[in-house]
Amino acid sequence: MSDAASLTGHALEAIGQAQTEDALAKIELEYLGRRSGLVSTLLSNIGSLRAEEKAALGKAANEAKRAIESALAARRAELEQARLADLAETEAIDVTFPGPPLGRGRIHVLTQTRRQIETVLESLGYQVELGPEVETEWYNFEALNIPAGHPAREDWDSFYFSPELLLRAHTSPVQIRAMQRIKEPPIYIITPGRVYRRDAPEATRLPYFSQVEGLAVDKGLTVGDMKGTLLYMIQSLYGPDRKVRVRPSYFPFTEPSFEFDVSCGICGGMGCKSCRHKGWLEVGGCGMVHPQVLRNGGIDPSLWNGYAWGFGIERMAMLKHDVDDIRMFYEPDLRFLEQF
Amino acid sequence: MRISYEWLGDFVDLDGVTPKDAADVLTRQGVEVESLTMVDLSAIVIGKVLDQQKHPKSRNDLWIHQVDLGGRVQQIIAGAPNAVVGSLVPVALPGTTVPNGKVVKDMNIAGYKASGMLCSAAELLLGDDHAGILVLDRGTPGQPLTTVIPSQAVMEAEVTSNRPDCMGHLGIARELAAGLDRPMKRDFMPAFTGTADPAGREMVNVGIEDPDLCGRYIGGVITGVTVGPSPDWMQRRLRAAGVRPINNIVDITNYVLLEYAQPLHAFDLAKLEGPAIEVRRARGKEKLLGLDGVERELTAEMLVIADARKPVALAGVIGGEETAVTEATADILLESATFSGPSVRQTSRALGLRTEASARFERALPPELALAGARRAASLIAEIAGGQVHRDWADVYPRPQEPVRVNIRPALIDDVLGTHVPLEEAEAILKRLSFHVKVRGDGEWDVLPPVFRLDVSIPEDLVEEVGRVYGYDRVPPTLPGRRHDRWTPLAPSLDRRLDEAREVLAGAGFTETWTPALVSSKKLEELRIAAHAMRVANALSDDMDTLRTSLLPSLVDGVALNRDRARDDVRIYEIAAAFLARVGEKNAQPEEPLRLAAVATAGPSGAAGEKAFREMKSVLDGCVASLHAPACTYQRAAAQLFHPGRCAAVVLDGRQLGYLGELHPTVVGGTGRVVAFEIDVEPVLAASRTPRAQPLARYPAVARDLAVVVEETVAAGAVLQAIKESGGELLEQARAFDEYHGAQVPEGHKSIAFTLTFRSPERTLTDAKVDEVMSEIKLGLEKRHRARFRE
Repeated sequence: MSDAASLTGHALEAIGQAQTEDALAKIELEYLGRRSGLVSTLLSNIGSLRAEEKAALGKAANEAKRAIESALAARRAELEQARLADLAETEAIDVTFPGPPLGRGRIHVLTQTRRQIETVLESLGYQVELGPEVETEWYNFEALNIPAGHPAREDWDSFYFSPELLLRAHTSPVQIRAMQRIKEPPIYIITPGRVYRRDAPEATRLPYFSQVEGLAVDKGLTVGDMKGTLLYMIQSLYGPDRKVRVRPSYFPFTEPSFEFDVSCGICGGMGCKSCRHKGWLEVGGCGMVHPQVLRNGGIDPSLWNGYAWGFGIERMAMLKHDVDDIRMFYEPDLRFLEQF
Repeated sequence: MRISYEWLGDFVDLDGVTPKDAADVLTRQGVEVESLTMVDLSAIVIGKVLDQQKHPKSRNDLWIHQVDLGGRVQQIIAGAPNAVVGSLVPVALPGTTVPNGKVVKDMNIAGYKASGMLCSAAELLLGDDHAGILVLDRGTPGQPLTTVIPSQAVMEAEVTSNRPDCMGHLGIARELAAGLDRPMKRDFMPAFTGTADPAGREMVNVGIEDPDLCGRYIGGVITGVTVGPSPDWMQRRLRAAGVRPINNIVDITNYVLLEYAQPLHAFDLAKLEGPAIEVRRARGKEKLLGLDGVERELTAEMLVIADARKPVALAGVIGGEETAVTEATADILLESATFSGPSVRQTSRALGLRTEASARFERALPPELALAGARRAASLIAEIAGGQVHRDWADVYPRPQEPVRVNIRPALIDDVLGTHVPLEEAEAILKRLSFHVKVRGDGEWDVLPPVFRLDVSIPEDLVEEVGRVYGYDRVPPTLPGRRHDRWTPLAPSLDRRLDEAREVLAGAGFTETWTPALVSSKKLEELRIAAHAMRVANALSDDMDTLRTSLLPSLVDGVALNRDRARDDVRIYEIAAAFLARVGEKNAQPEEPLRLAAVATAGPSGAAGEKAFREMKSVLDGCVASLHAPACTYQRAAAQLFHPGRCAAVVLDGRQLGYLGELHPTVVGGTGRVVAFEIDVEPVLAASRTPRAQPLARYPAVARDLAVVVEETVAAGAVLQAIKESGGELLEQARAFDEYHGAQVPEGHKSIAFTLTFRSPERTLTDAKVDEVMSEIKLGLEKRHRARFRE
């Protein structure tokens, strides 16, 4: 047996027994090191050999080198495979250990609700219109067909700065301003914003709250169109099973006027504790725009007609998220705000 | 408005219509019934007492009755002696639940069997009397009690302000009749008139000072009445409607108010001086002792009814005690008038006195109603209290009610409702509501609303009348849509555009709040930010009497609130308007700049505050960047609410947006520090530009650090500015990353460390080239800020 063959035999044996990458590296250095590797030393006295002996030794040394290299590669692959096969044990961590807090802030639940409402109505082609919170008597009352002394003024007890200036009691003034600005229908707008009424704070009402009103002015609009719009909105927000009911009511700025109710989400309209056995939850008011209001907005009621509605954003959020005290929305209490 | 179901039965046949059915019809038609209280008498039967004996053994006073229940006789024991032989009484048999909740059982009382119970009015929830058995004035033994007293039901209904006619049972019944399509049993205008001599108008002189405040005054004279309790049925109905019975005359005026919605008043004629009636404004310092026992000082805005001497009633609000009807009264003056709604409302509000009468007058009553109410009351007085009703009453009617006509193109009904209502049906509905409809030759309808419906004046009003009785449930929901040749492109609202900033804030740990815009003026004055505050003239309370000029105090309160709940790390913000009055312009709407304000808590040390200050800048810079506006710069400034040494004005494109800094210790209170900013957002959005893609750099950047030693007073911002100016185009970015004070720098100096990044778009920069630029920068700093450099 030649030296080369015996060297190879030893090397392959060592490689076969090696258990780690470190051991393999050591073997590689021992046999294949460029200067002092055992394969190299085979050729150390090659200069003294004859030509044919030289060729034979060179060939043997090369074969030894290739054999060792390929054994090393094979063993390495084996070891890697074994390591990967053992990952489940060797690198296991406690996956149930909780992550650190992210410190994520929240967008207010009323902002979220307002966005949902806006998105639904924008999908029907309505545009958001904003307006001032401190309004003139004319925009807040007169233009909406509620002259001084009108008994309905009782329904909008307001905060005044002077006889001419007050905090708007609804976002309806924005409707008048929008009609005056846009001038030519079609007009499809919604008017989200804060409003103020002189009611003492309690669990179901506050002297300040937020509304979304909507206004459509076009040719040939109907009570049916108004109902459909409200139904589309409610079903989009609360789910396709919800129903909408309109009940005749009275507002000076619409004729006919309605309250609109949404079927109770818990009992589906059968009546339960949550809806006080009515089956319906009151949401807001609506109606066909009074011709005088169109005139006040600069629109000719003989050519155009319209419908409008309004409701409280808080009310919608309370229905959706089971909030039972409206005051929570205006308290900067993180324990509440971080729930949404 | 409390409605007695039984009472409605006087005007419309309710056979087969349960109180719940009636409530549903009313709600569907616009009179919202909010609650329904039932008193079910159907299980109670009528019995006739055949025999009554004292219980021989019981220690309590008990009576043993033999009661005929229509063919069979039951033995029933009761504790009251008033069910004497021959009485007709309500009987609850064993197994029955009485309206007050009691369950009747077979009993044996001291050896005597008792099979049932004789009921008191209180047990049947028909009144307060529980001492005696309710004795009926009619009825057949064995028949249900409901053959003589119907089951009771009381509805609490909300009547809209345009429908004063529905503030009475007659109006409610008319709604029900229209909804059920049943005829009304009674005409609106009673035919009754007095016949006794002399004529009423010769007995009492009536004058109206201001016809705008009193459009009609009817004074009826009735002599020789007998004042006493009113009949049970009347008392029962008054109680059901929430009115306390007093005597027959007063009860009748209240009864008619609850029936017709016309308030009435009865004076004791003998106590009126004159006898003359003047409807006039109160004169200086006049007083009136009201029926409620309260004496009130009157003002010149208040309308009164006065006799020859002084006010005897506050018009439309309350009568006077001194001229009230008492047991001794024989002759009365019956007042039925039409007072102006705004005037009554003003008086009622000024005195804080809301009565059944004022609640009705406030809604503007039709003058024709005054006559109907007066006639109805007079006929009831004649029937119940006796007396002579005199003919030809005083009736001063300076503003006669004009008849209203409304023309409508009947197709409008379908056009507005969006469904087809057959013409005959629409016409029938209007007639059921007492409207007269005349179909003209051209197809239009000439409609005359009834005199009690002042709210109907335009065609749309008629559409509503038809729609609400036809049933809006029958109108199918549709979505509008026609071909439009004009539109407005969708533009996101101001508030929506700020959502990018909201996301940055959420990511930075800030939670959005909504806080009230109404705050305390005292607080604003203490904080010295009240200069442009708008003060509410009729505030509900001191803590909500002014519009805020800054969002920060609300957020500081939010910090305190959360700290009280053991939250130390508080990061909150709000986006809302501040309100700034325009100086010198009375009645001008204020400026309402939309603001973004944020606060964050920091530790108590100065260093913690400084660190938080810098973090707050990053937050604001992040918000502004998210809105695609150019970066803000910061300049040392002084502002209310802020720490005098730690406040920066925030500037964008040369315009000041607001302030960022640590809040003043006196504003924050407590131990920790609070950093904050508040800016106007509209200029930021105005500066917003759509980002344009830049080519990616092809050549590598070279980074160099530079430690600049300058005097303490030199601002880092100024140093940075100088670096940028000297750095030229090759300086891509310059960022301060550390500030050092201590042994390595001279006294009164500081060292600021910067990382400078250089890059050329055209070639790879050589060290030599970068060295050259660095020398320029150093030279500039030496010149501008007498800077030296640390290696």
